[in-house]
Amino acid sequence: MKNEKLKLISEEGIRIDGRKLEELRPLRIEIGVLDKSDGSAYVELGKTKIFAAVFGPREVHPKHLALPDRAILNCRYHMTSFSVDERKPLGMTRREIELSKVIREALESVVFLEEFPRTSIDVYVEVIQADGGTRTAGLTAASLALAEAGIPMADLVAAVAVGKVEGHLVLDLCDIEDKYGEADMPIAMAPRLNSIVLLQLNGRLTKEEFRKALELAKKGIMEIYQKQRDALRKKYSEVSLMEV
Amino acid sequence: MPLYFSEREIVLPGQLLSDDSKRSGEGTYVLGSRVYASTLGFATVKNDKVCVIPFKGAYNPQPGDKVIGIVIDVKPNGFEVSLGRHLTATIKIPDKKEVQALNLKVGEVIYAFVKESGLRGVFLEGGEKIKKITSGLLVSMHPSKIPRLIGRRGSMINMIKKETGCDMIVGRNGLIVIRGPSPTNEFAAVSAIKLVEKEAHSQGLTERVENLIKSILGGGVESEE
Repeated sequence: MKNEKLKLISEEGIRIDGRKLEELRPLRIEIGVLDKSDGSAYVELGKTKIFAAVFGPREVHPKHLALPDRAILNCRYHMTSFSVDERKPLGMTRREIELSKVIREALESVVFLEEFPRTSIDVYVEVIQADGGTRTAGLTAASLALAEAGIPMADLVAAVAVGKVEGHLVLDLCDIEDKYGEADMPIAMAPRLNSIVLLQLNGRLTKEEFRKALELAKKGIMEIYQKQRDALRKKYSEVSLMEV
Repeated sequence: MPLYFSEREIVLPGQLLSDDSKRSGEGTYVLGSRVYASTLGFATVKNDKVCVIPFKGAYNPQPGDKVIGIVIDVKPNGFEVSLGRHLTATIKIPDKKEVQALNLKVGEVIYAFVKESGLRGVFLEGGEKIKKITSGLLVSMHPSKIPRLIGRRGSMINMIKKETGCDMIVGRNGLIVIRGPSPTNEFAAVSAIKLVEKEAHSQGLTERVENLIKSILGGGVESEE
């Protein structure tokens, strides 16, 4: 009922925020924004604003959690209480704990943890403002922060959501499309390795739709990946040749 | 075999560097007989191996490195030494008398050489190569910035020593001991280190550090070295 009242996609194929079906929101990336952390990044995807900070490798606390042959990767995805329309209570909700886990597992597949035995690498993803696609933008930011911290990894991780809204496959859903659309599928990839490191699906897609959605996501991910690389290069382009 | 980068090019994790898996050096990894970068840094060729010199990152001890450590445990057959951040090193001395002869206590600072570093941990040279540091100001700095602090053939560190009149011992792990004739001189040296850490990437840093030291010391202090 509500779908009919709220027209998410116009007849010309223009979405509620003025985008085309296969268009990303404007993406802004900044590297090295936080002084106290070893590596940090800020990602702004439309109205979604996210900080990511990386600490480590550092000593594990409590010590018995340390692994003798590799580092442990801790990840905390957290939404600030002012990031959503209605105040989110402090502390970790069920959803945040789950997202912390999926982000951690996605990052574990690219980071060379075995280079730092008995240590921990801590990743903090803080959502300042949420407008859909926070886990994907958070993952994009976290991989940049890890790269800036100088932690060895096989590839950067870029992520984007695809979904089905009023029968159309769309790229990079915003909050309203996520809520009133039919399906939402966040995907994260290590593009150079051509491997999918995160894939979740909320809602229903047919086999054919799934295939098309995956292709669409790949296209979006390559676009984000290019911007990630440009941002990292830009940050260090002014670096003179140090005497190493 | 072709290389896919120009010398001193900025490379990102996952970037293809070479087709020859035998040329994989530091900061790279091999996947399907190809060499890719694993860290963010400058790509270069060292001893015919493709390497990436990282911009940032944890200190990775290499045999022969001179480090400064803090004794955290005394054992019958050696010592445990903290190298700052996440690293702890071990000194193994087979002779019990020698351990006692060194007379090291927990909390004392030593200057030592790295003997071995690997999966089993970091080991430092024992015996006479250990030097106890009895006085001075212990400051820490990011280990990746140490080469900049030393400068080309020691140009930066020698200038700081000369201008401030302080004696400095630099550990590759990021700990530095400063001993100066007065607190003001020591303060100038610490400020210089902090400036180097902050602006390690910029050019003409030596001059700015020199100016900073001169402004702190009022320009009137005679250098003692």
